[in-house]
Amino acid sequence: MKKQYLVMIILFLMGSFSYAQEKVIEGTVVSASDGLPLIGATVVKKGSTSGATTDLDGKFKVEISEPEILVISFIGFAEKQVAVNLDQSGELIIRLEEDITKLNEVVVSGLASSVKRSNLGNAVATVSSEELTGITNQPTMDNALYGKVTGVNITSSSGAPGGGIAMRLRGVTSITGNNQPLFIIDGVYVSNAEVPSGLRNASGANSGNEENASNRIADLAPSDIENIEVLKGPSAAAIYGARANAGVVIITTKRGKRGETRVNLTQDIGFSTIQRKVGIGQRDWTPSLVEETFGTDEVARYNAAVNGRGLIDYEEEIYGETGLITDTKISATGGSEKTKFYVGSSLRDEEGIIKNTGYTRASVRANIDHQFNDRIKFTTSSNFVNSTTQRGFTGNENEGGLSMGYNMAFTRPWANLFPDEFGNYPDNPNAAGNMLLVRDQAINDEVINRFIQGASIDVSLYETDQSFLKFKWNGGFDSYNLETYVYVPEYHQAQRGLQNGFIGVGKNSIFNTNNQGFLVWDNYLSGGSLQLTSQVGYTYLTFDRDLVYNQATQLIPGQTTLGQSGTQELDQTLENVKEFGYFAQQEVNFEDKIIATLGIRADKSTLNSDQNQFYYFPKASVALNLANFDFWALDLFNQFKLRAAYGETGSSATFGSLYTSFQAVNIGGSPGVSVGGLRGSEDLIPETASEFETGIDMTLIDNKLSLTATYYNRNINDLILQRALQPSTGFALEVTNLADLQNQGLELALNASPVQNENFVWTSTTNFWFNRSKVTRLDVPAFAPAGAGFGLGLGTAFIEEGQPVTQLKGTIDGEVVTVGDAEPDFQTSFFNNFTIFKNFDFSFLIHVKQGGNNLNLTTFLTDLAALTGDLDDASGQERTSNPNTDRFIEDASYMRLREIALYYRLPESAVSVFNGAVNKIKIGASGRNLWTISPYTGYDPEVSAKGGTGLSTGLDVNPFPSTKQVYFHLALEF
Amino acid sequence: MKNINMKSIISGLMAFSMLLFFSCEFEDQVDPNNPNLQQYNEDATVNELNNIVVGMESGMRNGLALYVTSTGTIARELYLFNADPRNTEDLLGKNGGQLDNNVFYLNGPYNGSYTNVKNANILLNALDNTEFVSDQEKAGYRGFANTVIALQELRVLNMLDENGIRIDVADPDDLGPFVSKEAALAHIADLLNTANTQLGNAGSTFPFDLSTGFDGFDTPATFTQFNRALAARVAIYREEWGSVAGLLTDSFFDPSGDLTVGPKHSFSTASGDQLNGLFKIPGNNGDMIVVHDRFIENAEAGDLRIARKMTERENAASQDGLNGEYETALYPSPTSPIDIIRNEELVLISAEAKLQNGDIPGAIADLDIIRDYAGLDPYSGAETENAVTDELLKQRQYSLWCEGHAMVDLRRYGRLNANNLPIDRAGDQVFSEFPVPLTEND
Repeated sequence: MKKQYLVMIILFLMGSFSYAQEKVIEGTVVSASDGLPLIGATVVKKGSTSGATTDLDGKFKVEISEPEILVISFIGFAEKQVAVNLDQSGELIIRLEEDITKLNEVVVSGLASSVKRSNLGNAVATVSSEELTGITNQPTMDNALYGKVTGVNITSSSGAPGGGIAMRLRGVTSITGNNQPLFIIDGVYVSNAEVPSGLRNASGANSGNEENASNRIADLAPSDIENIEVLKGPSAAAIYGARANAGVVIITTKRGKRGETRVNLTQDIGFSTIQRKVGIGQRDWTPSLVEETFGTDEVARYNAAVNGRGLIDYEEEIYGETGLITDTKISATGGSEKTKFYVGSSLRDEEGIIKNTGYTRASVRANIDHQFNDRIKFTTSSNFVNSTTQRGFTGNENEGGLSMGYNMAFTRPWANLFPDEFGNYPDNPNAAGNMLLVRDQAINDEVINRFIQGASIDVSLYETDQSFLKFKWNGGFDSYNLETYVYVPEYHQAQRGLQNGFIGVGKNSIFNTNNQGFLVWDNYLSGGSLQLTSQVGYTYLTFDRDLVYNQATQLIPGQTTLGQSGTQELDQTLENVKEFGYFAQQEVNFEDKIIATLGIRADKSTLNSDQNQFYYFPKASVALNLANFDFWALDLFNQFKLRAAYGETGSSATFGSLYTSFQAVNIGGSPGVSVGGLRGSEDLIPETASEFETGIDMTLIDNKLSLTATYYNRNINDLILQRALQPSTGFALEVTNLADLQNQGLELALNASPVQNENFVWTSTTNFWFNRSKVTRLDVPAFAPAGAGFGLGLGTAFIEEGQPVTQLKGTIDGEVVTVGDAEPDFQTSFFNNFTIFKNFDFSFLIHVKQGGNNLNLTTFLTDLAALTGDLDDASGQERTSNPNTDRFIEDASYMRLREIALYYRLPESAVSVFNGAVNKIKIGASGRNLWTISPYTGYDPEVSAKGGTGLSTGLDVNPFPSTKQVYFHLALEF
Repeated sequence: MKNINMKSIISGLMAFSMLLFFSCEFEDQVDPNNPNLQQYNEDATVNELNNIVVGMESGMRNGLALYVTSTGTIARELYLFNADPRNTEDLLGKNGGQLDNNVFYLNGPYNGSYTNVKNANILLNALDNTEFVSDQEKAGYRGFANTVIALQELRVLNMLDENGIRIDVADPDDLGPFVSKEAALAHIADLLNTANTQLGNAGSTFPFDLSTGFDGFDTPATFTQFNRALAARVAIYREEWGSVAGLLTDSFFDPSGDLTVGPKHSFSTASGDQLNGLFKIPGNNGDMIVVHDRFIENAEAGDLRIARKMTERENAASQDGLNGEYETALYPSPTSPIDIIRNEELVLISAEAKLQNGDIPGAIADLDIIRDYAGLDPYSGAETENAVTDELLKQRQYSLWCEGHAMVDLRRYGRLNANNLPIDRAGDQVFSEFPVPLTEND
């Protein structure tokens, strides 16, 4: 898109010049499939920047003074070249074919430049709004990407509405640092933090990352997204420097289009249910089995239940709700030549499969583009989000009696947890808490008010026919207040006599800013055959956090505010980070045959021990479009491109890693200090990743088939890791640069358009990818990283030289051995879309993950409670007689019907009954995750009990179960 | 007008950009959230020193509850039934499994102890580099610090036993080696003696305050009595029977006095303070310290310690194939203090030393003090060394139930094994010591 604006700016300028001896070529650009005019298509004289764009009727005029080749392009259509000369007469009709290969798509290549996909030296995946949200309703942006982009791996720490997603691009890139990609929305660096609510102080969970907080990218309404570009590794993301080790996800939201104002209204209604139950407590109980398992006393309780209320399936009772989802979106778009706008608002209301859980998100967006004059253009993008999440209590805990899954694991089907006629909930006789009480009367809420504002200014400083110089500034901020509220009533059985009621209130404010300026110089040499694009610029980023947590216990009965308590605790954590960088980049394009890019970024950060030391991140790429060379004789190929790219990026340690500090302690009301667990590191440097990527892009048979293959090899050096120190030093951990890690992988994408005719269009995409990691250097003994498991007995991630970083170690007969690996062998996805009789769209996405292990500790707990459903079968008996870690290791392969949809667009004749009040009507039905085959016995093979940070691989501890959803859609365009 | 404004805005932006481009120097970073360790290296003030003292007293409680429940489970004093199954699997050696060397029940008490040793070393280092306190005051701080180090190291040694412990840990970049159990005990005894000397030079008052747990032991003179009591405990571990009587004389040992007297770990609900981790909600499910049935079955009729320390559950507790009728009632509330060492233990130490020195009637006399306090008649068994040793160990187990002594005591007399302790489930084992933590390897 950006490129087109440039062309348009130039065209406006061109208007003031005139040439002698000219011929005006007139023509119309239409879509080959339906013959409708294409508005805004670009018509350029080959080898120059001069040309035209088509108007509302698809018409254009170009003046020529000698024979020329016109290059006609439009987003979503294959580029076409037409030779014209001064003798040309009559109107040209140019039919553009739909482009399944996306060759013509414009892809980011630098901080202030973009390039046609056909000239790109990297594998950059782009996901359009149609692919992202066009099939089914997507609760969150990150989840919507899974299966659509090669090289992506996603795990979910919670199936609760409102997110909780960990995204990995091309494997794990850091052991303790950030593994989540950098998210940039319309030029604004946005926070994807998971901010814990402090409920661990009531539940006894080990750390904040076990609280299953939602991740904040969930705030972005997927319906606002125009497209997403995924820079998977340093070779593509080097220009983002010290924050790009885990890749960059660049999100562009919808913007206004010139023309009549269009209003779109869509209404989705959906239903969410549990994907599968694991059968907790579902043994074939008999009095003798009860006696054998739980002792004689228990038989009476069992008999009482069987003769009374009956046995209760608490899994059904807690997780068995059908959640209603409504999602209403309305947007308007339009604009004049000077000013264009997109205004969108959406309201999503989602109920969880546990009663009293849910998510509501209200989002308003306004994107304005204004052409101030022929040299200056502004854009502004504003987004306000208010969201409320009722997370419920799930996941790991210790003795808090809050996690519904954890307590359910111990609750026998004959235990009566239902409230009596006065509403009093009995104590759970088998566990630390009554799940029904927690579900109905405890609170775990998050409220977010978030404002994301971006702005940009483009100024043309100097232009001629062959070159132009542009100044570009953009900046913005992401500001949000996240309020968390946890309440546990004083009559909860784990509270009575101890905390006597618990309130945790978090008031967290987060404020990120970014500010970047660039100079871009485009230059065409040798009659247009050599195109040079140079850019230099700076970026300045700030990240401020102020996390205030208040806790009250010893509550006055029935009271739910902080002051109504006998004991209060306060905690405040400040973080402020500043980063500054320069960059420069040079791109060279020789006749679309050889395209080379060279660039460097220099960054410094207050997260590094020397805050004024610059770290340098170079990049280079080259693409060879062999099919564009004269010697290429194979007409079968429309494109045959070889490409190679190299780049480096960095990642600084998390805030606080530099400091050796005391922590505040207390005894009897007197404040004191004690050594904290962390020994600061005075000479910590950022971890740096270098990636070499090479690939081949082919398009053949009249653009009907395209194949992209990419191999990458990424080495992450000086890995920042939290090494356990000898505890006798008085410190538990130290943050060091003591390891190297390698990720290698292959990504294949095959796009095909086997049939494309008036009544039947079939497009198909097959993706295939895998990643292999290896720890190539470790200057400390092999170790289990803190917080990545529950010790060797239960299995843990284990960092060991020569082994995958995702390996799981455990003990077998007292020996420490590798028991599994969370990394999948490979993943593949298969997407198909059929348009039948123009009006029906049918599409589906199947995603296969082969291999990769999970540690199923949910089963571990139910085994302990003697409540696993299979304990009377061979599988259960084999498991429980095995004292070794491998009994929890399970194959987490799956094949999943991730998305399926059928839509019907009402024909014009039917729409016309509204007398033009409505332009288009579309109705449909769709589903997400409707069907899964997996040998995995837990709730969902895509699981991660430890949140999105760190390794967070494959740990299953009583998660909020994953859901499947069915939707009905109505879309109207006015 | 419009154009001019526009131009000035653009120029402003460009100038701003240029400014950033050329002048962006970040200032040195300091931790905005916590005090820095560095500031204690030089000229520490009395307030700063006293903050560490409070931190040390607070830190003495770190890992204490886990130490008691983990060693107590191995010694078949109790079971900890809670959300973590390893309390009933690993610690009891279920199905032939082994103790993990990288897990909470070891790392919690181990790390907690050494964190506090570090606090003490920071205090000692700060004292060497400050002019703000007098030499007499410094002696008070040092006597306190060395006593705490000794107590912390003894707790680690009690867990690791023959594996030994590290005693030279002042420099995190150059840790001393693991030394043998004997060398470690000798070092701990030396530390206590050094502290004793320092406390003797500390004048009549400390320049710092301790919590209510040290009421009666909060001056150099009375803190010395606590120090000597610990020295007596170390002496019986070292089997230096001859020195015990003298150490007891200098301690707060009082055979005719209140057996409950002694310094305590205190707890409160103040912000940042800890609660007593050994308190469990009466009758609760899902988190309970269950009394091992052998204590109930083997109790002499009328032993008041059963009623004082334990209570029968309404529903018998069962988890992981283990059962128990009684649960802890040792602490009435989550802010109840925990004894560090009390007169009752000193009387038992006195009895033990007498027994080992051949004074069997003297030992029985001491044991009868314990029996009397427990509501039992005087000892009437055989007056042989073996029989009185059995009686001594029995009284120690009942008097010090769930206080972290049983594992050490049984081990000292070669009784920490399956011949002497019940095996509750086929395949369970009795461990005699904890492994060296995985992360402690060089």
